[in-house]
Amino acid sequence: MQLRYLVIHASLVVALILMILPLPDWAQMYRPNWIALVLIYWSMALPNRVGLWFAFFSGIILDTSLGTLLGQHALALVVVIFFNLNFYQRIRVLALAQQALYVFLLLLINQVVVAWVEGILGRPTPLSVYFVAPLVGMMIWPWVFVILRDIRRKALLS
Amino acid sequence: MKILFQARGASLQALILVVLSIVFMVTDQRFQHLEIVRSNIALAISPLRYLVSLPATAGNWAGDWLTSHYDLLNENDALKAESRILSARLQKLEILAEENARLRNLLGSSRKIADDVIVAELLSVDQNPYRQLIEINKGTSDGVEIGHAVIDDFGVMGQVIHVNAQSSTIILISDPEHAIPVQFVRSGTRSVAFGRGSTRQLELRYLPATADIMVDDELVTSGLGGRFPSNYPVARVTSISEDRIRGFVSVIAEPKARLDSSREVLVIKPRL
Repeated sequence: MQLRYLVIHASLVVALILMILPLPDWAQMYRPNWIALVLIYWSMALPNRVGLWFAFFSGIILDTSLGTLLGQHALALVVVIFFNLNFYQRIRVLALAQQALYVFLLLLINQVVVAWVEGILGRPTPLSVYFVAPLVGMMIWPWVFVILRDIRRKALLS
Repeated sequence: MKILFQARGASLQALILVVLSIVFMVTDQRFQHLEIVRSNIALAISPLRYLVSLPATAGNWAGDWLTSHYDLLNENDALKAESRILSARLQKLEILAEENARLRNLLGSSRKIADDVIVAELLSVDQNPYRQLIEINKGTSDGVEIGHAVIDDFGVMGQVIHVNAQSSTIILISDPEHAIPVQFVRSGTRSVAFGRGSTRQLELRYLPATADIMVDDELVTSGLGGRFPSNYPVARVTSISEDRIRGFVSVIAEPKARLDSSREVLVIKPRL
């Protein structure tokens, strides 16, 4: 494996840091799923390199760091990345604003799967909370996209 | 064609991973096998956790630097006073710890002499509102068998109904499906005490109206039926109600054992 592909791992580590960064309680529900955003970008840009296994292992690591059921985020991310792998060719050519809508949909799917498992465990999530984090994720998608694209170009990945 | 195969490969992979995550979740929920995965990953990301906590730590550190001399002196005095109080309390605690150790020794030695008591600790309480079951930390490997009686320091608690290698399930005498043969200490009348689903009540049904019963009478195990050894305290009568039409008396008694708060219990092996 070439050294320059390590930027993918590095960006995921940064996303993980953003996920476990302590926030005040009221701000927790606004925290976008950074891991999902970064994975969506990479699986869109380099679908042959970043795929389902990446999603699965990122999910397992995320579950350990958040203390959720092992496999809960892994399941959600695998579903999301599977969707993305089927649609990325059509989405890649869209404008950033349109992409953001699609990303909102993916983040919502992610949220629904995670909340569904919580519900099975007997801890139902209030409906309003479902939409907040994906909305925030949608709004920051253009920046995530541009930053990661620059990083990818600097690292000469295509 | 190639794209088609690729897509099918991806679907298969996705299916495998979805099943794998569900297996992970079920395993994580029900068993402890994945603890090693969890602890290893946690160890690997611990530097990140440290990094994330740095801003808060740095803030505290800067705050310490900026504390004034006067504040420090004040705090120092307060801490010294607190330390004096705490060391006085500690002396008491040491005496208590010694006493505790001695008592535990006594308990252990009685087990060696009689060889028919096993000391166990409460593991969990069954959450089912219709049952009164508890779980203790001794099982077949310690010699617990189904049917052994369980007591605490105050009286009979129940009996063993399931045994695993390292734990066993106890049905409390207050479970609606449980009945225990008892005897009144004062009059010698024999009866059977049924659970009512509340840890504070047992019921003795269909006693003859002529029976010699008074409030505050003590009930002990009668030893009949062969499950419970005789003469262990069970309950104290709290109320007596007469059924004049049928000529029976029904008695409510309060269990002596602390069914809802005892953490250490004794399992009694009946002597054969």
